[in-house]
Amino acid sequence: MAEILLDVRGLTHRYAMTSSRSVTALDGVSFQIRHGEIFGLVGQSGSGKSTAARCIMNLLRPTGGDLHYKGVDLLDPKQRRENRRMLQTTRQLIFQDSASSLNPRMTLADIITEPMVINSVKPPRGSMRAEAEFQAAKVGLSPSCLDRRPPELSGGQRQRAAIARALCMEPELLIADEPVASLDVSVQAQILNLFRHFQTEHGFSLLFIAHDLSAVHWLCDRVGVLFHGLLVESAPTTELFENPLHPCTRALLSSVPLPDPRRERQRRLERFDTDTLPAAETLREVSPEHFVLKED
Amino acid sequence: MTADKFVPAAPRPICDAPPPVPPRRHGLFLPAALLGIIVLGCLCCELFIPRDPTYMDLRFCNVPPCRDFPFGTDSMGRDIFSMIWYGGRVSLLIGFAAAAVSTLAAVVLGSLAGLAPPQPETLLLRANEIVMSVPNLLLVVLIQSVLGKPRAMGIALVLGLTGWMSMARVVRTEVRQLRQSEFVLASQCMGGGFFHVLRRHLAPNFLPSITYMAVMNVRAAIAAESTLSFMGLGLPPEVISWGSMLSLAESALTGHQWWIILIPGFFLLVTLLCLTALGNAAHGGVSRRHSNL
Amino acid sequence: MRHNALLLTKKLIIFLAGLLALSMAVFCVSRMAPGDALISYYGERAEKMSPDERSAAEARLGLDRPLHVQYVRWLSGAARGDFGISFMYKTDVLSLIRSRLGNTLILGGSGFALIFFLAPLLGILCTRLEGRWPDRLICRLGAVSGCIPEFWLSLLLIALFSVTLRLLPGSGAYCVGKSGELADRLEHLVLPLTVVVLSHLWYYTYLVRSRLLGEVRQDYVLLAKSKGLTPRRILFRHCLRNIMPSYLSLMAISIPHILGGTYIVESVFSYPGLGTLSYESARYKDYNLLMLLCVLSGASVMLCSSLAQAVSRRIDPRMRDGTPVSGEARNDG
Repeated sequence: MAEILLDVRGLTHRYAMTSSRSVTALDGVSFQIRHGEIFGLVGQSGSGKSTAARCIMNLLRPTGGDLHYKGVDLLDPKQRRENRRMLQTTRQLIFQDSASSLNPRMTLADIITEPMVINSVKPPRGSMRAEAEFQAAKVGLSPSCLDRRPPELSGGQRQRAAIARALCMEPELLIADEPVASLDVSVQAQILNLFRHFQTEHGFSLLFIAHDLSAVHWLCDRVGVLFHGLLVESAPTTELFENPLHPCTRALLSSVPLPDPRRERQRRLERFDTDTLPAAETLREVSPEHFVLKED
Repeated sequence: MTADKFVPAAPRPICDAPPPVPPRRHGLFLPAALLGIIVLGCLCCELFIPRDPTYMDLRFCNVPPCRDFPFGTDSMGRDIFSMIWYGGRVSLLIGFAAAAVSTLAAVVLGSLAGLAPPQPETLLLRANEIVMSVPNLLLVVLIQSVLGKPRAMGIALVLGLTGWMSMARVVRTEVRQLRQSEFVLASQCMGGGFFHVLRRHLAPNFLPSITYMAVMNVRAAIAAESTLSFMGLGLPPEVISWGSMLSLAESALTGHQWWIILIPGFFLLVTLLCLTALGNAAHGGVSRRHSNL
Repeated sequence: MRHNALLLTKKLIIFLAGLLALSMAVFCVSRMAPGDALISYYGERAEKMSPDERSAAEARLGLDRPLHVQYVRWLSGAARGDFGISFMYKTDVLSLIRSRLGNTLILGGSGFALIFFLAPLLGILCTRLEGRWPDRLICRLGAVSGCIPEFWLSLLLIALFSVTLRLLPGSGAYCVGKSGELADRLEHLVLPLTVVVLSHLWYYTYLVRSRLLGEVRQDYVLLAKSKGLTPRRILFRHCLRNIMPSYLSLMAISIPHILGGTYIVESVFSYPGLGTLSYESARYKDYNLLMLLCVLSGASVMLCSSLAQAVSRRIDPRMRDGTPVSGEARNDG
């Protein structure tokens, strides 16, 4: 078994609304990502998926818990400073909305090579322009796009550019925060293929955040299910889809539409009420690698 | 234009910041040319003005426009045609210098307020509100009495010091909006330091509105100088500027000497109009999307 | 309820602290500025006084004490409602202001009301006919009238209507001995009011127009149209309603701006209002008058910005929990 790349333990984050009120977005979430693994994080909207991604990228300071990446404590400013360059180059994030995560006033070529400029990496293919062309070709963008600006491109093209930007540093951990949520289905499939292709080619680890279970089923090795900030179940993908144990997971799975109309008609939506969630629960391993939140 | 051909498929086109559509360029030639002529004429006025603008020839007081005096003379017997070009230099200088001071102050303080944590920010805003609550005219009089004798640079400084507040607020809002936008976050993720983010992301995005406001500051300063001089708070009539030329206007009213009022005012107005047109062009028009109505 | 009371107390404390800071700043700056306050009291005579007479006069007016003592004295007087006397007019400051306040309120208030109703109307007209000639005409006219310096516009109007055509009076608020006659007052009001409205209207119209133009490009307008609503209904019921919070709060912030921003107009038309008064007080160092005017205008600005917050909080539910609005929308001087 490969060694652990990212270790998340008891991650908790609260957003302070006013001085007296706060919203708990993450409540003691723990999971591990191994080298070369695709870990999916699913859940309804508002379940804390993006918050988790932002905590891991140090964009947010979690209220509690531990984060270790390649043995570096991500919450310790001193260690972070010492490994600053390593952290910057080997962790990359892809945002959900490519329209706002790409600067509307930069050309694609500048956008794609921005991380190399920041970290003053010498482009392996001679000039920055050649590098941008190479990366663009890899994600399937024509060189003519490179002189355009994000608003002139389609959503799929923009998301490809965002991927190219993340990949040009050859990261070890790629965090994709709902990268396909704002795209239409055919483009979604292309982008997912792209992820799969690059993952086998480069062997990076991928934290894939989505609310679309079929994408996760197709792409991921292991899946964690978030519900209202709690990690209710985590298991290898096939295990989870065949044997969902937590009612929340079952409800989520039952919501996936089936392509076969006859079976689709028989599909029954399972309901899951927040109130049925017992207060005190711990994550238990029921079978190898399959963890479920259960009552004590 | 390519923007019309490639309609983005994303749900919302980019952020609320100024739309990335290039500003409309047509109709810009006339104001630019007029302003160019006025500025150039004022700068090299020694080459073509017929008389010494400061010389008071008491034989020719209040002469209406004629062949000798194309714009007439004022009540002190000075040639208005020469004064216009000579005085325009002072007016324009005050305008640009004051705008430079206020733009600098606004950008520095506005960015500070935009980047500061909430507590100091509220304090800055409160202070700004209090300063803004004093009528501008009082501020000008107060600062001017501290600085002493009215001189062109002193007035520029006064106008600059009183004109930065509202612009600082706009800068602050823009900086805050941009700071929270995802592409800045993304750049920070990649390890972009403060100066990288400022140079590559913040500056290009707020430069258009800064340019717009800077041009508007020039406009406001020129107008304010003329107002102050007219009210007797700015430059005295001996120091020639468009404003101080107009300070003779009230006595000209009763004497029906229309040229003393109309001609400097006309030059002032044309300059202000040209500046407005240029400023609006820098700001960029409304987005080209079609109205849904 | 308790929460509300707490909030109100907090606001009140902030308000008072702001006023205190303002009065202190004005006090220090005005007294440190060079120039002779005695001139405003004794006029030309002050320059011919002997040193002994001078110090006696200063002692009489309380100008010989250290700065902080003078300030504390002013403050304790102010707390009792005694703001001192005007050096220049030699009367009680408060009654002096009261006598002028009405005139300013008439001019500024009617100007404000006109702008308040005309701006949305013109803005709607522009939006409705976007790109057609009335819209372009209004924009052009607005750009020109917004550029004309107020004093020059006043001069032009006076030259045209009162000097050449002799139609309307060009100075004062009323003819001597006719202060009670409405027709006479109205006649005197026409020209200054025109200047006030013309120089401010453009800004607000343009704001309404650009907000509305942004609004009609939203998708909900398409939805409303597909439901079969008429353009007019969409514009009034939906778009206008969406921009109202920002418009109303902007107008609330602008109250002191328009009310008090009539100095130039007042002084060109020699209109006896607060504008001319504050201009004179600053010019001739009439300390007590200057202080009260500054504190008054500061108070009105702060009150109006609180009003703006309250208004937008009342209309726009999003503002209730979020950050309060402030005068960001206002971006010209």
